[in-house]
Amino acid sequence: MSEYILELKGITKIFPGVKALDRVEFKLKRGQIHALMGENGAGKSTFIKVITGVLTPNEGEIYLDGQKISFKNPKEAQHMGIAAIYQHVTCYPDLTVTENIFMGHEKVQKRTKRILWKEMHEEAKVLLDELCANFEPKVLMGSLSVAQQQIVEIAKALSTNAKIIIMDEPTAALTKKESEELYRITEKLRDQGAAIIFISHRFEDMYRLASEVTVFRDAKYIGTWLVNEITNENLIVAMVGREITQLYPKKEAIIGEEILRLEGLSKTGYFKDISFSVKKGEIVGLTGLVGAGRSEVIQAMTGLMSYDSGKIYFENKEVEIKNPLTAMQLGIGYLPEDRQKQGLILEWGIGRNITLPTLDRCSTKGWMNEGVEAVMAKELLEKVEVKANSVFDLASSLSGGNQQKVVVAKLLSADLKVIILDEPTKGVDVGSKSAIHEIINDLACKGYGVIMISSEMPEILGMSDKVVIMREGKVTAIMDREQTTQELILESAMMNQADFS
Amino acid sequence: MTENKVIKQIKGLDIAKFRELGLVIFIIILSLAVQIRNPRFLTLENLNDMLTNTAILGILAVGMMLVIITRGIDLSVGSTIALSGMITALTVSTYPDMNPILAVLLGTLIGLVCGSVVGLLISKVGILPIIASLGFMNIFRGLTFMTSGGKWISAHQMPVSFKAIATSKVLGINTLIVIAIVTYIVAYYFINHTRTGRQIYAVGSNPESAKISGINTDKILWMVYAIMGALSGLAGVLWVSKFASAQGDTAEGYVMNVIAACVLGGVSISGGSGKISGIILGTLLLGILNNALPLMLVSPFWQNAIQGFIILIAVLVNALVKRNITKQNLMRRKI
Amino acid sequence: MAQRNILAKKQFSIKSFFFQWEWLLVIVFILINVMNANISDYYLNPTLLLDATMTFLDKALLVLPMVFILVLGDIDISVASTIALSSVVMAVLYNLGVPMPVAILFCLLVGTLCGYINGILLTKFKELSAVIVTLSTMIIFRGIAYIILEDQAAGKFPKWFNFLSWGYMGKIPFILIVFVILAIIFGLLLHKTTFGRRIFAMGNNIEACRFSGVQVDKIKVIVFTLTGLMAGVTAIFLTSRMGSTRPNVAMGYELDIIAMAVLGGVSTAGGKGRMIGAILAIFIIGFLRYGLGLINIPAQALLIILGLLLIVSVMIPNLKGRFQTLRKVKS
Repeated sequence: MSEYILELKGITKIFPGVKALDRVEFKLKRGQIHALMGENGAGKSTFIKVITGVLTPNEGEIYLDGQKISFKNPKEAQHMGIAAIYQHVTCYPDLTVTENIFMGHEKVQKRTKRILWKEMHEEAKVLLDELCANFEPKVLMGSLSVAQQQIVEIAKALSTNAKIIIMDEPTAALTKKESEELYRITEKLRDQGAAIIFISHRFEDMYRLASEVTVFRDAKYIGTWLVNEITNENLIVAMVGREITQLYPKKEAIIGEEILRLEGLSKTGYFKDISFSVKKGEIVGLTGLVGAGRSEVIQAMTGLMSYDSGKIYFENKEVEIKNPLTAMQLGIGYLPEDRQKQGLILEWGIGRNITLPTLDRCSTKGWMNEGVEAVMAKELLEKVEVKANSVFDLASSLSGGNQQKVVVAKLLSADLKVIILDEPTKGVDVGSKSAIHEIINDLACKGYGVIMISSEMPEILGMSDKVVIMREGKVTAIMDREQTTQELILESAMMNQADFS
Repeated sequence: MTENKVIKQIKGLDIAKFRELGLVIFIIILSLAVQIRNPRFLTLENLNDMLTNTAILGILAVGMMLVIITRGIDLSVGSTIALSGMITALTVSTYPDMNPILAVLLGTLIGLVCGSVVGLLISKVGILPIIASLGFMNIFRGLTFMTSGGKWISAHQMPVSFKAIATSKVLGINTLIVIAIVTYIVAYYFINHTRTGRQIYAVGSNPESAKISGINTDKILWMVYAIMGALSGLAGVLWVSKFASAQGDTAEGYVMNVIAACVLGGVSISGGSGKISGIILGTLLLGILNNALPLMLVSPFWQNAIQGFIILIAVLVNALVKRNITKQNLMRRKI
Repeated sequence: MAQRNILAKKQFSIKSFFFQWEWLLVIVFILINVMNANISDYYLNPTLLLDATMTFLDKALLVLPMVFILVLGDIDISVASTIALSSVVMAVLYNLGVPMPVAILFCLLVGTLCGYINGILLTKFKELSAVIVTLSTMIIFRGIAYIILEDQAAGKFPKWFNFLSWGYMGKIPFILIVFVILAIIFGLLLHKTTFGRRIFAMGNNIEACRFSGVQVDKIKVIVFTLTGLMAGVTAIFLTSRMGSTRPNVAMGYELDIIAMAVLGGVSTAGGKGRMIGAILAIFIIGFLRYGLGLINIPAQALLIILGLLLIVSVMIPNLKGRFQTLRKVKS
């Protein structure tokens, strides 16, 4: 029996035009949680697809239990005991939990091939109970929350008796509490003998769970370290290839008069009695657990969603924001959370993407002026330092960080006074992250009022002048920069209703 | 205690069930209303007539449901009916001694070939279903005219045994109805109790993850169009037998009725959901309307508009109910 | 870090210039004309060619707004029913003694209203797909036409009304002039204005448009209403060409119209397409039909050719993409 349950040697995968993996190495010990880290585009996702048989590598060898193997399709890998829980939960919303768990390896009667529903429901129930899930196997997958769906995915991995479980950024969409639950389950799986590859952008995930960490950069293998022997700084150097001295470089902006104020904003089922304000040059951090209603408040402020009651004051005048256009005309801009779905048109050139909210500026009486448009886009793109060759480069050809910069440039195209950023650095690699933080700081220095939604505690602490904390649709605390600590924020974000009253 | 139970029951009553219940209630009210206007409606004879007239639509709705579950649509149904009906009618008029069962098989086979070709282009070449089936709608229709040379095959050219397919009875029930019921039972077992059947739902619900979990999505897509084709072929033979004539423009525009039956039955155009019980109700509702309006002495010229309004209202009510349910779920969240 | 210079000028590439769908359409168009000229000596007569356009341009008028709808990523299968309803309303009003110009005005009004209803339904019920909504309005609009006229025909229009589709201005058919003007207007609207740009954006990613302050609902209603209006215009010319109308007029036109747009390279998935392609497709199909008619090839054969053209035209880009990836992987 080999010391390693899974070993990959010299794996190379070439896509048209790019080398997605370049002679990558990986060794996974039995019963171990192994963290895999790297910036976006480092090749982690391709790597997983190679292990799970979705992709066949152009070169290299895979050893399972010391035996050389090669997978022709995902089913073979699944048969060998390899299961993956993907970054975006890959579920069937219209089917029941049971079916989601057993998809691809349904229990059937041997002779007639009839599906044994009763047995499957029962086994699903057992699996879910084991994971302390609070829902029935017969409910539709689509009616569950993301965290619950993740549990179903894990149950699915368990049902295949997987020896190797790969988790691709499972905590990305989870709240702190839900992450804790996931940690517990992951550790339980390890104790039961499964080897786990855990992919994440969060350092805390790695410290909490993994015993070893492997880093990829630019499709290449950089190295493997024991977690308790590596420092934060070394890890960042390994991931980025250069040193990033200060993660949150706070520049002091001059804070001026108030520009935007919410008073008692409410919407049934989403949020209630929300009041806070933003001043010129101020960065307001809006935080709370996912599902606390942060994005909904912002969407009501920007006219994407209607609100039932409450008032919005802009420059001390009460305003009514009916749709995103009126918000934009007032000077409120919104950088949405999901840049690929809500921020960009991926099939379009980046120049056209930038001018979409402000087409009136590069047209006369409705007639487009494409020359003016291109120049306007060029200036904005250079301002945020997007790495691109021309304004006609497709948005889809850019890396995540650069895409995010394009979305920021899109905001800058309009005459704004307040900029609202929803998770601006989510899923962005470390290098681009600090560049985006710098841009946000610059905006504050130029006198914009900034509202930044973030779930990342260090980001909130490092960037904001004022922190607004929400829980279950209500503002539970507003703190100044000086008095904020991680503990205080957590307390306000997670405090029970009983304690509150 | 009891309050909790009630809430649980309300929660258990999901949207699909609510819609079906609504349809059933609507059908009952409609039937009663017709019955009051014309007592002939709820007689065995009339019900038999009505079901016989609806059977073909019911058979086609099964195939269309499978296609729609995979997020597709098949517009070539009417043309496939015409082509299979025409070729079968030509064959039986040339060989009058042919066994009618053989004729049915021949028609089904022709439909299967037609459907397979459409499915091949959709699954392997990746052409959008609406475009591929639109193209073949024209091609099959053209082929129908070509094979017949633009002529009709009329009743006297068909052997009695062939025309008897649609008029004969099995256990006292019209053969068309029996074939429809058998189709429903087979389809029910297939989509609920076999792996391949469930994979159809999986492909429609999330095509990408279906691929990742090792489902041969191309095969599934190909299969549903082939099934749709085979059922259309079968329907073609039955159609020609029932109306005792095969024409170039047979079943032109009929595909819209089939789609309407599915939509009324709650099959979601965005894929992934749809039930046999739903399409039975949808088909029945259309059948009752077709049968009842003349009985109620409604001018035949009003029928189209009334059908259209009912489809639209069903679709809108469905959407409103869904919205209301999400809204109520939100209200329950205490803040 | 050195400031990067981002190019703002598009680099002209001969390869990508000629590697466009429209060139393929041009080649097909030329081929069809060469073929037609070879099989019939009468074909290349300019007067006859111009006259031939009269037979297909009424339907073609609706292809123009249909391109807008397809670019939006929607579809409207109720257009043919809208034609029928507005045509029937016009004829019935005229036969009741309403002056013809007023009847025409009502025809346009009814068409516009039908389109507006589609647009409003689609924006108020976003969860419903355009296929479903326009499928039901398709049945309803034609149903109303049947209620109004039952299985009768209505007609006996004034002489001057026939001029619309049979008349000439100089040597050029009047309808050709109308078509050219409208094609230019629609082409410019789609490709040169902010309105058109926003339509393309919505077809690509409607969510991103909402977040960018594009008034998506308003634009969608406008496009559908515009389509309804054009259905009214088409109804006028079609009725004029046929001299009378029935409730089953223009049956099946919606699929012909969509097929022409798709053949012209407009994607039904939304966000892609050009007006010039659709216009080329109109003339390809029109002349093909005319040429085959000259040598007495039955209309049914044309159905097959149309179907094949449609399939092949969407197959080529698909196969091309596959071939290119194959080549790249090898090299």
